[in-house]
Amino acid sequence: MIAALPRRLLPEGLALPLAGLTLALSLVMLASLLLGAGEVTPTRALAVLAGGGDDEARFVVGSLRLPRTLVGAAVGLALGMAGALLQAVSRNPLAEPGLLGVSAGAAFAVALALWLGASATTLRVAVAQAGALAGCLCVLGVARLRGLGNDPIRLVLAGAAFSALLAALTSLLLLFDQRAADEIRFWVIGSLSGRRLADLLAVLPSLALALAITLLVARPLAALALGERVASGLGHRPGRVRGLVVLAVALLVGAATAIAGPIAFVGLVVPFAARALAGPDIRRTLWLCLPLGPLMVIGADILSRLLVAPSELSLGVLTALCGAPVLILVVRARRLPSL
Amino acid sequence: MSPSAFPRRRVAGLALLLGLAAAQSALATTLETAHGPVEVGDDPQRVVTLYEGALDAALAGGVVPLGAVTTRGGDGVAGYIDDYLDARHPDAEPAIVGVVREINLEAVLAQRPDLILAPPQLADEQYALLSRLAPTVVPPTRPLAADNWKHEARLYGQALGREAQLEAAIAAVEERAQALTEALADAEVSGEVSLVRWMPQGPLVMSERLFASGLLAATGLTFSDGDLVNDRGVHSDPLSLENLSRVDSDWLFLATLNADGQEALEAARTSPAFERLEAVANDRVVPVDGQLWTSANGPLAAQAILDDIEAALLP
Repeated sequence: MIAALPRRLLPEGLALPLAGLTLALSLVMLASLLLGAGEVTPTRALAVLAGGGDDEARFVVGSLRLPRTLVGAAVGLALGMAGALLQAVSRNPLAEPGLLGVSAGAAFAVALALWLGASATTLRVAVAQAGALAGCLCVLGVARLRGLGNDPIRLVLAGAAFSALLAALTSLLLLFDQRAADEIRFWVIGSLSGRRLADLLAVLPSLALALAITLLVARPLAALALGERVASGLGHRPGRVRGLVVLAVALLVGAATAIAGPIAFVGLVVPFAARALAGPDIRRTLWLCLPLGPLMVIGADILSRLLVAPSELSLGVLTALCGAPVLILVVRARRLPSL
Repeated sequence: MSPSAFPRRRVAGLALLLGLAAAQSALATTLETAHGPVEVGDDPQRVVTLYEGALDAALAGGVVPLGAVTTRGGDGVAGYIDDYLDARHPDAEPAIVGVVREINLEAVLAQRPDLILAPPQLADEQYALLSRLAPTVVPPTRPLAADNWKHEARLYGQALGREAQLEAAIAAVEERAQALTEALADAEVSGEVSLVRWMPQGPLVMSERLFASGLLAATGLTFSDGDLVNDRGVHSDPLSLENLSRVDSDWLFLATLNADGQEALEAARTSPAFERLEAVANDRVVPVDGQLWTSANGPLAAQAILDDIEAALLP
């Protein structure tokens, strides 16, 4: 029974790409521990990993690079999965949480909470998830409007307008309270620097819940891709499936935004690459998103440390630089794949 | 054209100009500004300052402007200006006419100014509009340097007809810094000092060419920006937390735009990288008001900063 379970869960032909990607992810995570903007060289960091090393290197590797690597893995996982789910449920390959205003919703909710006087760390996760949920519902509401749902680019345009609205509201809040503005301005850009393991622990329960929901809805969601009638015929309830997916996306995006700020394009690039490797079936896509998301976020984070050392770039800036060309590529492809 | 015709005409023109200038000299002074010579009235009554340094200089000269811009990150003038106004001119409250980068021209116009004291590097378009409202004094652009404020304060003083008061105020700052240097030397306080603004992602290291950095240096301490700030920037990019040791001076002044500097210090203390600094371990971190330390300038601001330095470093 137990031996049969993984085989039933893991679709055929995925073992090899999954193994390759997991290997690549391990290498990138190792690189993330070895490389940085500071004076701790890869050699000194290796000494730490071997159990020795000097005091400064131990601190930099253990207290700075390790937390941001793990936080980056969680953020990448959450955003990659959220993108894949949102794209499947809206049947739109461009449905990216960052592009559609889900991240902006989470960011706005946090800014609102800060403005109302909440201290930054305590409420942030729940508030960001509530904001992401509201953003999700708006997006899907728009997607179900007649005519819009069938046109991916119009949906993205609507999402861009929605994001701009939320960004304007966030700016308005920041203008009202300039002192709070300075504190959260850097957070609004998105970064992994200075994040602690405690931040990661705060979002682990909701990540676990989202993963459980995903496990539950993967199969009905794949059936939904064949059309509502087919899915109903197979005994699934489309409305409930959609509701659960939206909940999972909100949990994932809210968690990622709460610890790293809004980070765009990960939810676009990761499912795009996963589909290119494994085909359009959502169950296969989701499997590959597991290693691909962390791979992209940690990779971008390493670049953010190296490009302008001794300072650092914002992670959000780098993912946008990597992701925007992919968006243009997808849009310019002769025919958008319909999901 | 004969060789002598042009010079003759020029001489005639010059004479005419001189005559005009002589006729007006009882009423006006001509100042050398970034936009060429500007004529200002002798005793301006309705002054609007569009720069924190100009507001500071005007108050130091005994003139309370009718309008002023907000301090960085605030809704009104800087806290130290508020305190000064409460003490000396409790009834005066300059109207806010915008922020330094975004001046509300209608609010300026509403004050019906007869003199506008503008920031250096005022945009040309802004100057074109402002100079139609009133004589507008823009200090000539200088490369960023810690004592630019003295040149600027002198120019604003001339514009206000209060040269002597501002010379005295600048001299008082220099004397105070000298006295503090001696007091610190007697107390055997010395060493390197850095000024940073703390961000959760990493600190912004303030340039040694800033106003407050110059005052720290003027009290005999060695100011260090860790070679992290380029020649034109006022501060570095957010420094990687891995490189905090570069600003680990004997004394660390922590500027914050928060109402409560102590709160910002506690926020910084939640970062393990910050906790490891020598200056933190030795309890030599001094939280200071970022509005005063990284936004303001002028003789009053200098005195307030020297107050802070004295309170923090003298036992």
